[in-house]
Amino acid sequence: MKITVKQFALSLYEAIDGKTSSQAKVVIEKFVELLAEKNQLAKANKIIEEFIKLWNNKHGIVQAEVASANELNEETVKLLKNYIAKLYNAKQVIISEKIDKKLLGGVIIKYEDKVVDGSLKARLVELKNKMIK
Amino acid sequence: MTFNLIFMSTTKDFIVEQLKEQITNFKTSLKEQTVGRVIEIGDGIARIEGISEVMMSEMLEFFPSVKAAEDKKAASGSVYGLALNLEEDRVGAIILGDYLGIKQGDEVKCLNKILQVPTGNGIIGRVVNPLGEPLDGKGEIQADKFYPVEKIAPGVITRESVRQSVQTGIKVIDAIIPIGRGQRELIIGDRQIGKSAIAIDAIINQKDQNMKCIYVAIGQKESKVAGLVAKLEQSGAMDYTTVVLAGASDPASLLYIAPYAGCAMAEYFLDKGEDVLIVYDDLSKHAVAYREISLLLKRPPGREAYPGDVFYLHSRLLERACKLSQEFGGGSITALPIIETQAGDMSAYIPTNVISITDGQIYLMPELFYQGSRPAVDVGLSVSRVGSSAQTKAMKKVAGKMKLEAAQFRELAAFTQFGSELDKDTKAKLERGKRLQEIFKQGQYSPVCAANQILVFFALINGLVDDVPVEKISDFETGLYKYAAMFGAKALKEITDKKDLSEKLEAEMKGLIQDYKNSLDY
Repeated sequence: MKITVKQFALSLYEAIDGKTSSQAKVVIEKFVELLAEKNQLAKANKIIEEFIKLWNNKHGIVQAEVASANELNEETVKLLKNYIAKLYNAKQVIISEKIDKKLLGGVIIKYEDKVVDGSLKARLVELKNKMIK
Repeated sequence: MTFNLIFMSTTKDFIVEQLKEQITNFKTSLKEQTVGRVIEIGDGIARIEGISEVMMSEMLEFFPSVKAAEDKKAASGSVYGLALNLEEDRVGAIILGDYLGIKQGDEVKCLNKILQVPTGNGIIGRVVNPLGEPLDGKGEIQADKFYPVEKIAPGVITRESVRQSVQTGIKVIDAIIPIGRGQRELIIGDRQIGKSAIAIDAIINQKDQNMKCIYVAIGQKESKVAGLVAKLEQSGAMDYTTVVLAGASDPASLLYIAPYAGCAMAEYFLDKGEDVLIVYDDLSKHAVAYREISLLLKRPPGREAYPGDVFYLHSRLLERACKLSQEFGGGSITALPIIETQAGDMSAYIPTNVISITDGQIYLMPELFYQGSRPAVDVGLSVSRVGSSAQTKAMKKVAGKMKLEAAQFRELAAFTQFGSELDKDTKAKLERGKRLQEIFKQGQYSPVCAANQILVFFALINGLVDDVPVEKISDFETGLYKYAAMFGAKALKEITDKKDLSEKLEAEMKGLIQDYKNSLDY
């Protein structure tokens, strides 16, 4: 049977979880050997991606993307982090910032397949649609 | 002039005031949305990553990326889709509309609602596509409500047996294969032998019968539908009819949802306690469209390459035709599905499926059609399983004998082909049968009202037309209608109102027909 990327990532996580870093190293070496044996080395990048997702999920880490029109100051970033932490019940929030002038103002928060659109542009579109009606 | 200026400035102020008010009252709330990305697109099918919380048959919104949209004239907006395959890490969706602008990586939004169509009194007299968007250029549809396209059919508790008839205005059908309100009667036959014509005649005859009609054209040539709409308009049938059109050039996704959308529109009237007649023209093209979608979604093919759930595809649609009991409003949906056979092959997959689902079928025979007996209904193979209980007493009285005569004639006609000497009795039966066949002939777009039908059948079974030459029957018939309208209006009215034939009335009818015959020169 074909083993999916998700299954690889999950088994790697289960093998590593709760081990010291030296122990983990051994496990990873073995894991790579297994991949080579099964001719799945080409999938390594995808497995890593999936593993990071899994790790973050289990440890309550949220990697969110925040897009804004202008650079955000520290105060705002802190507030945003608290907001996101509350939204997704996260212990730790990692934010990657992105500047997009087209938004005009406000922020868009993206996390996995969820989007909270708080940009001025979206508000204006909404207002326009309402007034046309 | 000055007045005009003042007037203009006040309207300007008024508009500004209104704008200010709207903007100050404008409230927004932040909402979390689930989005995904297109990872594969083609043939009207998209595979999407993300949207982890999508429901089955949920509406999706695609945003064709700006660059692709600019090339096309429709730069305006989004395209809707429908999630059909929920797999482990991706979603298979069909795109309802133009999918050429969408490309890999485009954003997809969940709309958190099952696909639904606008319905209400505003759709009557309109031509719409399966999404309820107007196609007739008569402006926006004024929808009272939105109804979900897929709905579970009414249950046993809410139903009632069929007891009121649908007058199709086609003599052979109303007499031999009667249809009741809430029945599902299949019209089946080869191409080009008048399947749609029967359905259209039935729609035209619903005038003043307290019926709403919905004609669902699936994969039909748009020229044919345009001609049909013109015909319906001309005969005044568009006052109570809606045409749902998924043309031959529309993507398979629209063809697939068309009958369900039509049924959803009908359910609005059902819930209001009204009677609806819905024609699905035709379901074989619908099955083909569904096969296309299923194969593209990589569902395993079965017999004739149709997917495994092709039976459920039609059974869930036709189960929605029903007669509700009085406590639940007493409305009904009568369905006339149409199936096109290939070279008369009734035992193909889709025809056998639909025959087993429906409450009877009207079988059209190519031989009869080319012999000139139109509508080419084969009385032997056609049945109606529930409709006879819906016939009026008057019709039952005349039709019962006619069924017998027709059956005897068929038997004898086959037998006498060997050309042996015939006794007097057999000859008389054959002659009667020929006249019966002649009476069943009827032109397109010329429905006959129930009272006239009963009158002419009454004449036949009582031997009053036995001395009319076979070639003259159709003249005799049209003349009789005219004569009866002039001199027998009272008798006709009594037939229509009482729905039964008393002895006195029968004598009156006999006298009327005899008087008419005396005025003829043959």
